[in-house]
Amino acid sequence: MRIATTAATRGTLWKQVALVCAIILCLPLHVARSQSSSRQAIAIVVNPKSTVTDISFTELRRIFLGEQQFWPDRSKITLLVRAPVAHEREVVLDEIYRMDEDQFRQYWIGKMFRAEVAGGPKIVYSSDMAINLVGVIPGSITFVLASEATPNARVLRIDGKLPSDPGYPLK
Amino acid sequence: MRAVVTAGLGALIVISGGAARAQDAAPTQPVVHAMLFGDASYLVTDRKIPAGFQLGQVVGHLIVSFTDRLNYFGEFTATAQPTGYAFEVERSILRYDFDDAFKISVGRYHTPIGYWNTAFHHGTWLQTTVSRPEMIKFGSQLIPTHFVGAFAEGNIGLQDLGLQYMLGVGNGRGSTISRAGDAGDVNGSRALAASLSARPVALFGMKMGIGYYRDRISAASGVTADEGISSAYVAWQREQPEFIAEYVHLAHSPAAGGSTTGSDAYYAQLAYRLNGSARAWKPYVRAERTTVSPTDVIFAPLNLGYEGGIGGVRYDFTSFAALKAEYRRERFQTDNWSNGAYVQASFTVPDLGGGGDHSEAQP
Repeated sequence: MRIATTAATRGTLWKQVALVCAIILCLPLHVARSQSSSRQAIAIVVNPKSTVTDISFTELRRIFLGEQQFWPDRSKITLLVRAPVAHEREVVLDEIYRMDEDQFRQYWIGKMFRAEVAGGPKIVYSSDMAINLVGVIPGSITFVLASEATPNARVLRIDGKLPSDPGYPLK
Repeated sequence: MRAVVTAGLGALIVISGGAARAQDAAPTQPVVHAMLFGDASYLVTDRKIPAGFQLGQVVGHLIVSFTDRLNYFGEFTATAQPTGYAFEVERSILRYDFDDAFKISVGRYHTPIGYWNTAFHHGTWLQTTVSRPEMIKFGSQLIPTHFVGAFAEGNIGLQDLGLQYMLGVGNGRGSTISRAGDAGDVNGSRALAASLSARPVALFGMKMGIGYYRDRISAASGVTADEGISSAYVAWQREQPEFIAEYVHLAHSPAAGGSTTGSDAYYAQLAYRLNGSARAWKPYVRAERTTVSPTDVIFAPLNLGYEGGIGGVRYDFTSFAALKAEYRRERFQTDNWSNGAYVQASFTVPDLGGGGDHSEAQP
């Protein structure tokens, strides 16, 4: 009876040790994945029929701030923005808007209040949704992780740099 | 032959049906956004004015996109009065956007004089403080806060400077000078408004501008004068710190002859959003002054002189509602210095359609 109890206890112990080891072994992978995610560049993508291939960071900021609402060919810009908590959104709010979530909301409410825009950005909930919509909405622009960009959307150069280039501003 | 005609008609029906379906697929339904602003205050003061609880303006916004270039902006208010509520069409603007450089509109506007009048006006929740500066207070006689007419506006090249212009022609003040000439120009002399603003890229968050307004006033008192209003402002819109300063010079030349007089109004406001766990708090101060020429044929009888200072704190307890507490010390032209304290709750409902300040994307 004593031996049986010990064996059962030992079996449970081994299971726990195995579980802890598995967690420890997986942790670096998870951290590595998180770090690689936080290091990934954000690609600015537009409708593939767009004639725009390169954009300055100043122009990009003016588009995302709603200060520029038309492309050079006079077609209307439709801004697609990821819903909150997406990593890509955090990068864009930090680097382009320089705002936190509350400031971002207040900014667009103020723009609508002043009749500067007729509506805020359109919300998308995943990279797939962003790329699918940017592929079918003429004049649309959005952002995704560079690794998730597909041929359905055209990746813009920013100040002549692609996401893989050194000095790309949205990393 | 009959078969050919029948086939042709059939093909025509199929083609026209397809064309009709294609037209139906186009975004023919207007897109509507609606917003609501509101506030309620409690006032304690040693001025001889009604104190206690005060319901501020309830403000409704309606924004309709008929197409991606044709939009309607409406703003409607209900304001508590001693005998009930006064309903007002504050703004009603139909605008066509040709591109960023040229947008043309017609309707009733907030006159582009200075910063506050167009940036906050009826949006109490948007402004840091409890109330507007005295120079653009509710029912202001000093500045024509509303404008009925038409505007052309847009961006001007030079992206690094972020230049924008507005050029407008309208009815100008009504015979009650605090009101715009909603039902027509009272004297057949159109008002002109022009403004130029800049948002320099190198100073992200900064907005500055100048403006000029010209009109002939025919006041209910029977006095007629030419009015010229020059304005300038600078606003640092980031919250750490937030800084707004405006200056307005108002000149009146009596039509019956006589010298031109000048009146001045200005204010400066400083606020700072605290850091970390205190981020919901934003203390602020403001100083302001209005000096009216004693010989001004329009303003002098109205006793519009004012000086005062306020200090307070704003607490944003959610993303869409704020509580503000404010102390003010002020002196109106015909009064002694007075002290007052306000507590105000203000809020916005950013989209009554339930989509927040944005809407879900649709292909």
